[in-house]
Amino acid sequence: MDIDDILREVDPTFHSVPLEKRDLQELTRAWVAERSAPELLPWPSNGFFERINDNIKRQIERVEDMTGDMDPKTNFALIVIQTELERYRYLVRSYLRARLAKIDRHALHYLSTDELRARMSDVELAYATRHQALLHNHYLSSFLSSFPPNLQNLNDSAGINMVEAPDLDSAVFVRLLRDTLVTAKGVEDDNAVKGMEISVALIDVESHDTHDP
Amino acid sequence: MPMYGDLGNKLVQHAKRTQNLAHLPPYQTELVRAVTREVRDLDRDVAALLEPFQGSFDPAEHQATACTLLVNHLSMRRNKRCLLAYHRTRTDKLEELVWNGTDIVDMAGAQQAGGPAAVSAPDGAAGSSSLSPQEEDYFRQYGDLLAAYKGHWTDIDLTGSLDPPRDLFIDVRVLKDAGEIQTEYGAINLTKNSQFYVRQGDVERLIAQGYLQKLG
Repeated sequence: MDIDDILREVDPTFHSVPLEKRDLQELTRAWVAERSAPELLPWPSNGFFERINDNIKRQIERVEDMTGDMDPKTNFALIVIQTELERYRYLVRSYLRARLAKIDRHALHYLSTDELRARMSDVELAYATRHQALLHNHYLSSFLSSFPPNLQNLNDSAGINMVEAPDLDSAVFVRLLRDTLVTAKGVEDDNAVKGMEISVALIDVESHDTHDP
Repeated sequence: MPMYGDLGNKLVQHAKRTQNLAHLPPYQTELVRAVTREVRDLDRDVAALLEPFQGSFDPAEHQATACTLLVNHLSMRRNKRCLLAYHRTRTDKLEELVWNGTDIVDMAGAQQAGGPAAVSAPDGAAGSSSLSPQEEDYFRQYGDLLAAYKGHWTDIDLTGSLDPPRDLFIDVRVLKDAGEIQTEYGAINLTKNSQFYVRQGDVERLIAQGYLQKLG
């Protein structure tokens, strides 16, 4: 992706583009946001990933159909399609694993309230629940079961809270999709900056209300 | 007589060391048992201290006892955290091994020279497993869990490389005989020290497992 793509992406007239292209743009955006945010972002609903998956499946079938054709023209097209396919796959893989890393790290936190659970996809929720059960089981069979009963919990909140949560005070980059006011907490004092479109700012997470268009 | 928490501290040091190692050092069965015993002893002390008061303990009246109780109370919780940290560090390592496709057989110590485990644990204790039986169970169960999750994304290859793809085709050198593999361009026989120009997606697993080395 070069600067032209970035500029085109934020162009409001860009939405006359075909669905496939918009999907890729949305995927890229979700990927960038997920990788730079300290907390887990909501799973895109409305069947977005089902569509992405179908796109990938269709391309794989296409590659299979084209393989075996010895025509040099087809062969060249095949390489282009396969390269694109690999990149597409990488985006999805990297996105899913960035999410999984966050879920693994703070599983109990994301399982603690309905609101946080809703950020995960059904599959992720099942994974997180099962993973946490496995861990708890492992602790129990390794040492926790011979502890006094009142010390066997994993979610004590008396004294120090045992459930760790992501650090929402860490800094993030935001890219403005249109002019707006960006407010941020500073080390010494808070400030607000009049942000221009396409400018990139380094701010605190809690004030990221300009994240999406 | 060691101080309360000394043993827990040892566990944390083991955990810290484990983080920077390529392989998993042997499980500290004795240490884990000793720390757990300390927690139980402390709990018993607390119960014994509170016993004469019959549930009507007033900290302001018996400050010395209150202080002992507090120290015992904090020591128990600290020990618990040390144990949790130690085990979590190791399970993190185990999960990493599952993601890399390491086999439990290689982990369990039945290693032969040349197996993938020999690469990750050159000084691995031959013959005895560095995992506790519980960890072996966990390793297997997490493997099943990951397989189930991956099953929802069959076309993506979730365990594939996390480096952005640059070239469709790459040069590889064969480090260990890996037999014949099927690609869409026909079969390739991977014999040691030979070199091939292959599609990266076809050989990613073999690179991760140490059979092939990516060149250039």
